[in-house]
Formats: sequence, C-alpha cells, structure tokens
Amino acid sequence: MRSKSPHQPSLSLIISAALAETKLRLINISRYPGQMAMEVIIPIIFAAMPMLLGQATAGDNAAANFQANTGTANYFAYLLIGASTFTIVANAFWHIAYWVRFEQETGTLEAVYLTPTSSLTLAAGVALYSAVRGVGSALIAYFLGALIFRFNPLTGNLLLALLFLFVGLIPLYGLTFLFGALVLKVKEANALINLMQWVVSLLMGIFFPVTLFPPWLRFIAQLFPPTWMVNGVRSALLGIGYFLENWYLDWAVLWAFLIFAPLFSIQVFRRVEAGLRRNEGIGTF
Amino acid sequence: MAFPTRSNRSVKVRLAGIENNLSAFLAMVQKEFIIMLRYPVEFVASFAQVFVIVVVLTFAGLMFAPRGLASSTDSATTGLVVYGFVLFIYLSDTLWTIGFNVRREQKQGTLEQLYLSPVSKFAALASRVAITLFWTGLLSVCAAVLMTALLGTLPFENGGLGLFVLVMALSGTFGTGFAFAALTLRIKEAAQTAVNLLQFAFMVLCAPFFPFSALPESLRFFSRLIPLSYGVDAFRSTLMGYPPGFPELAPIEVELVIVTLFGLLMPLVGFWLYRRAEDHARRRGSLSEY
Repeated sequence: MRSKSPHQPSLSLIISAALAETKLRLINISRYPGQMAMEVIIPIIFAAMPMLLGQATAGDNAAANFQANTGTANYFAYLLIGASTFTIVANAFWHIAYWVRFEQETGTLEAVYLTPTSSLTLAAGVALYSAVRGVGSALIAYFLGALIFRFNPLTGNLLLALLFLFVGLIPLYGLTFLFGALVLKVKEANALINLMQWVVSLLMGIFFPVTLFPPWLRFIAQLFPPTWMVNGVRSALLGIGYFLENWYLDWAVLWAFLIFAPLFSIQVFRRVEAGLRRNEGIGTF
Repeated sequence: MAFPTRSNRSVKVRLAGIENNLSAFLAMVQKEFIIMLRYPVEFVASFAQVFVIVVVLTFAGLMFAPRGLASSTDSATTGLVVYGFVLFIYLSDTLWTIGFNVRREQKQGTLEQLYLSPVSKFAALASRVAITLFWTGLLSVCAAVLMTALLGTLPFENGGLGLFVLVMALSGTFGTGFAFAALTLRIKEAAQTAVNLLQFAFMVLCAPFFPFSALPESLRFFSRLIPLSYGVDAFRSTLMGYPPGFPELAPIEVELVIVTLFGLLMPLVGFWLYRRAEDHARRRGSLSEY
C-alpha cells in the first residue's frame, strides 16, 4: 500500500487552505463597504448610459428599434443583464490577476511558493471569494436596477438563467488563470486588466448581440465563455434566441469550456510559474 | 559703483524664486514623461482601452438606431457624444493622475520626502496636469476621429469660442483634481472608491453621453448645481453651432460666465484646499501613513 508523503497535504487540508483564503478576503472586503456599494451602483449607471442616449435620440421608437436589432423590446433588462454580467467578468479578471501581482509587489509570492500549499489552492480560494462577491453584487445590481427602471426582473426562466451563470463561472475563472500567467510574465497588471476587461466586454456583447459582428469577429467572440454565458442568461430571461437554437446545445458548449478551459489554463499557469522560478522571476516586480 | 538697494534685492530674489520654481516644474514634467515612457505596456494599453470603450459605447448607442450597426447617426448626436466624451476622459484622467497619484506617493512612502524638499507644492501638482494635457489630449483627438468614423460627420462650428470654453472647463477640472488630492490625503484608502463615485456621478449628472433632457427633472436639478455641467453643455452646444434646444441648462451668455468663473476660481480653491489638507497631515504626522 502506498503511504502519503508527510509533505503532501491531504484533500481536506487543501480545501481548508482554500476556504481560509476565501474567508480572509471576505473579511477584508467587509471592511470597505463603500467599495461594495460601488460595485452595485456601477452596473446600473453603466447600463443607464446607452438607455438615456437611446431614449433621447430614438424617442418613442427606442423600444421598437432596439427590438429590431436585438430581439427584445425590454432594453432595460437587456442592458442591465449585460452590465451585471460584466461586473462578474471584470471582478474575475481583477481578483485573480491582481492577486498574483499583489503578492508579487508585496514580496509574499516567493513565500507562497515555499509553503506546502500549492499556489493554485490559494488561487482557487481567491476565485471562490471573487465569485461570491461578483455574483452577489451582480444579482443585487440586477434587482435594484429593475426597481429603478421599473421592469419585472423575474420574467422568463430564472432557473435556467442561473444555470447558465453558474456553469459559465468555471471556464471564466479558467480564463483568468491564463491571464494571471500573462501578468506574472509581463508584470504590468493594472494596464493589462483595464484593457482586458474592456476587450472582454466588447467580445461578450455587453450591450449588443455578437451576431451583429462580422463573421471573423463573431468567431473570436464565441471562443470566450462569457459570450455564451451572457447570451444564455439573456435568452433564458428575455427569449432573444440561443446561438445554437436550443438551450441545451448552448449549455453543452459551456460544459465543453468548463472541462477544457481550466485544464488548459492551469497547465499554462504552471509552466509560466516554473519558468519564473527557474529564472529568479518570482520575487522581482 | 552702484550698491544694490533693498527693493532691487527683493526683485532679484523674487525672480530667482520664479526661475527656480519653473525649473523645478520642468524637471517634474520631465520626470513624469520618463516614468510614462518606461511603462510601454501601460502606455499602449491605455490607448487601446479608450478605443475599445468608444466602440462599446458607439455600438450600444446604435442598438437604438433603425438600422443598427449599419446606421449613421445625425451630426447633432455625433457631436453630443464625441464632445461629451472628450470632457469625460479629461475629468477621469485628472481625478486619477492628480488626485490618486498623491495616494500612490503616500503608499510608496515618497510623499513625506517630497514635502521635505524646498520644491513648490504647486509645481508638484501642476506637473501632473502637464502629462494629462498632453496624453489625454492625444487620446481624445484619436477617440474623436474614431467616433466620427463610426457615428458620422462631426459638427464643428465656433472653434475659437469652443476652445475658450474647453480651456476654462479644463482649468476648472484641474482645480477639482487639486481638491480631490486634498480629499485623498484625508480619506486615504477610501480614495479609490471616491474616484469611482465621482466619475460615475459625473457620467450621470453632467450628461457627457446624452442630452440633459434625457435626465428626469429631479436629477436635472442637481446637474444645475454643478459648474462642470455648464462646461459640458456650453462646449458641445458651441461646437455644434447651437442647434435648436441647445444649450439646455441656461442661455449661452449665462453658461459662459459660469464656466469662466469655474475655470478661474476652481484651481485657486482646489489648491487652497490641498494646502490645508497637507498642513493638517503634516501636523498630525500622517503624510506617510496609509
């Protein structure tokens, strides 16, 4: 019988370490209620910009024009779903990539690599924290926005929308690990994350359907799990139509991302990590 | 042989002071440029980011047009959005580069050292303005060109008066940046949240991306209390050639007076607030606290 190495932490210890990281971060953010409030307000204001411009320029035809372009006249819900999902996506990129950079800047990344806990375990803890914070803020923003813009937030199939959201989270965090590897390598986290969150917002179709893109751009957009996630949520709630006609086919694509994206990203992250460790790059910033 | 009189000496000392301040200011501007050029990824990324934001907002606006992305909007809408966007990126950059950079110096521990040197505090703040003027100016010109390409013809009337309004609005914006730097010294880590809050308040109340008429009357009341709202309104109305319904908040003569006073007084008020906050921080020994 093979015995476990004394240096190899057990599964329960790994889970405990990840949860401790999640708890640490949740305690930390609870000390900044202003930041939490802003995360709820930002998507509402962000969605209000095109609404106000659209109402002012199209007047009484705003809803009809919007329906002709997107498939729904409920532009309040459409734009708010986009902005709320964007909050989740932007949070994911900021929290994972910035975690790596923060540890690097404060000089604790080197120490993380000297503990028996894998950096991926700690990153998983950060991802869980980020998902709780992002999804929580997005849901509150959506329901609060529904109150402000006066539409029914519970139209359509809410359960299916949540399924798309939660299945989409895993490949999303897989992608952020890939991005974390890039930050480890290039080091200028702020600029990269700022740019990346806007590129993703464009590609996921934050305020418009990606089916309006030219074919080459649509192809690139559909390689991003958030694109399937936001379209799934919108289709479930507003009936705008799935990419592959049926919800289960779109859902299957998200599941394929779910399996492939984390495996691929973790491999890349580990390779970059190993390269930096060999070349004294962990402690430099 | 002529002996220097007391008044001659005082003039010379004053001139030497101005010369020293100018030299310190130029050295600081140079330092800011060097720092900017040392981070090419940030340099390129911030440029690309503005383009992506422009595309996202333009596409969003076109969803309300009869033919979607194939539509070209009327020139008044283009002017409204493009000129509003120019003022928005200036305000946003000012809050981050002037206000939030003070926080960065505080975090890095270099703020205390800066205040121990005999360098003018005004020069230290103004050097950051120089970078904003150059870099954001370049970004806004490029963004305007891109938006015009995406949205349609950009109206351009009354260039001279438009430039005057822009200069006054920017001067007032920089003053707001100084005042925000003062606030940063007081509220420390909460400054990041405050920047976001101010940016989003500006996005709604100063209506850079839509006409003021789109706002509910209750919000328009608050818009009228903010001088920068008149800056946005006067700037775009002037450059659009005062189409019917513009300016929206007040007659243009009244808006020009408000914007001029804002541009002349706000830098003085902002700097006064900054010096007060700085004195307070020095007395309490909190300059290097974070």
